[in-house]
Amino acid sequence: MKLKKYISLTRAGIMESLHFRLGTVVMVIGNLLYLIVVYFLWKAIYASAGTDVVNGMTFTDTLIYLVLATALFGFMEMYTVWEIGRNIQSGKIVLDLLKPMEYRRYLFWSYSGSFVTQFFFTFLPTFIIVGIVTHGAIPLGTNLLFFVISVIMAVSINYSIDFFVGTICLFTESIWGINIMKQVIVLLLSGATIPIAFFPETLKTIVYYLPFQSIYNAPLTLLLDGNPKNETVLTILSTQLIWCIVMMILSKLFWKVSLRQITVNGG
Amino acid sequence: MSAIIQIKNVTKEFKVLNRREGLKGSLKDLFSRDYKIVRAVDNISMNIEQGEIVGYLGPNGAGKSTTIKMMTGVLEPTSGEILVSGNIPYQNRAKNAQEIGVVFGQRSQLWWALPLIESFKLLKDIYQISDSDYESMMHLYRSLVDIEPLLHKPVRQMSLGQRTLSDILAAFLHNPKIVFLDEPTIGLDVSMKSKIRILINALNKEKNTTVILTTHDMGDVDALCQRIVIIDKGKMLYNNDIEHLKGFFGSYRTLKIRIDGDLKQQAEVIQKSLPEFSVSADEEWISILVDEEKSKIMEVLHQLQKSHEMRDMQLQEISTEEIIKKIYEEGVE
Repeated sequence: MKLKKYISLTRAGIMESLHFRLGTVVMVIGNLLYLIVVYFLWKAIYASAGTDVVNGMTFTDTLIYLVLATALFGFMEMYTVWEIGRNIQSGKIVLDLLKPMEYRRYLFWSYSGSFVTQFFFTFLPTFIIVGIVTHGAIPLGTNLLFFVISVIMAVSINYSIDFFVGTICLFTESIWGINIMKQVIVLLLSGATIPIAFFPETLKTIVYYLPFQSIYNAPLTLLLDGNPKNETVLTILSTQLIWCIVMMILSKLFWKVSLRQITVNGG
Repeated sequence: MSAIIQIKNVTKEFKVLNRREGLKGSLKDLFSRDYKIVRAVDNISMNIEQGEIVGYLGPNGAGKSTTIKMMTGVLEPTSGEILVSGNIPYQNRAKNAQEIGVVFGQRSQLWWALPLIESFKLLKDIYQISDSDYESMMHLYRSLVDIEPLLHKPVRQMSLGQRTLSDILAAFLHNPKIVFLDEPTIGLDVSMKSKIRILINALNKEKNTTVILTTHDMGDVDALCQRIVIIDKGKMLYNNDIEHLKGFFGSYRTLKIRIDGDLKQQAEVIQKSLPEFSVSADEEWISILVDEEKSKIMEVLHQLQKSHEMRDMQLQEISTEEIIKKIYEEGVE
């Protein structure tokens, strides 16, 4: 019975996102353009490198990685920071706070409908196209299962980070700068724009200790590795789980403290 | 019966940044900040009973919204106690949320892109309304307003009036004990205003819902409220029923007479014969503001009749609007 209210929010989210047909089409086209740029950029990089394998990745490897990262981005990006910021500026947040549900959950489930539509409209088609075009370069085995588990945790980590950053909007009342900063940091350090294999050694070590690589690098590594060692899978998934829990606690705590601050001092 | 809302000596203070002037000031603000404390609500106490419709009035910036936000649990009072249906709102916001419904005139809680019925279904699940309660509420709605054409219309295509009506229905949907309406009739045309007033009244009667209404429209007050609370600059000025308010200032009535000759001159003459009242004249009428506690209006009329030949007369009761204006401007002695 408790779950029903969340499912309803998902349902409304799906209906709402299907409502904006043009928006979906534009997003698909935008993604395509980005992928074309990526294709030519990396083609040039490999051509100038002179070898087939750079940092242990072939051109095809890199391309598959980046294409799927883009698809994942379309799927996972929730625009939470925008949403929170806008709600604060317009004052709508007061109405959302007065729902008999935790705001953090309410926002997540309100958006969750888009996961479903994005999965079917961007991720799945991209995945199938990449699979066909590369003649089965993506292995299909237990790695798919690991990938799904990993993506679920990635979504949670991504949302926690977004929510944490969104909470900052309570204080700054500006959204744009904070959002851009977050996006750049997350996309770069998570390996969504450049595969982490290409990072210099020191940066690689630093990134390894940050939560961001658990968002894009972890699920993609699991997906693209045809027969991974059990040890690797375990390390990646448990790292994700730890970040999942830590970020959730942090974002919840920060929200609680901030909201108290706001309710005490007025917003 | 104990009151559904109890407010005891509630004060709310805000810390406000004192911004300095000019570019230099803005730069200084980056480094050292100078806060001042603003008291938005100052020692307010009141009790509201189940089923009452209370008008909560005050000029802009009087602290009305702040009080409402404290009652809903969005803000925490600096000092004092608030109990809403037995809960302390800010400590137990989710539980409190089940008991209250809110409409903020300018914002909508409905799902913008979806038909109204979908918003209702969502609210049904969010508030965990049982099927039978939901059905009986919809049945009631159908009997009160022509809701069918609205149900399948996306909210963003609605007119402001339809949207406000829908928002009010949405706020009552989970049959809350208390509904807060913050300027529900703002920007609406006359017929929509009256529709909404009738609806609020009917829902209040039918479900015995307590309604707290803030408004600047005295028509709302006259049509809906049994009791009004007026605050200004955070302080409570008035808290009693409307009848009492009228009695308070209603001992004043304006007598208007028309006589021949130069009105200005005549007015001066009348002023001399009635020194305890204020007399004024415009192009058509001489107005005498009579305090009936000092002498009866008939006596004044009788006296005037002896000295002047009147061609016409009018008697004006003071309206709620004028009383409230008077209270805003002068306060209650």
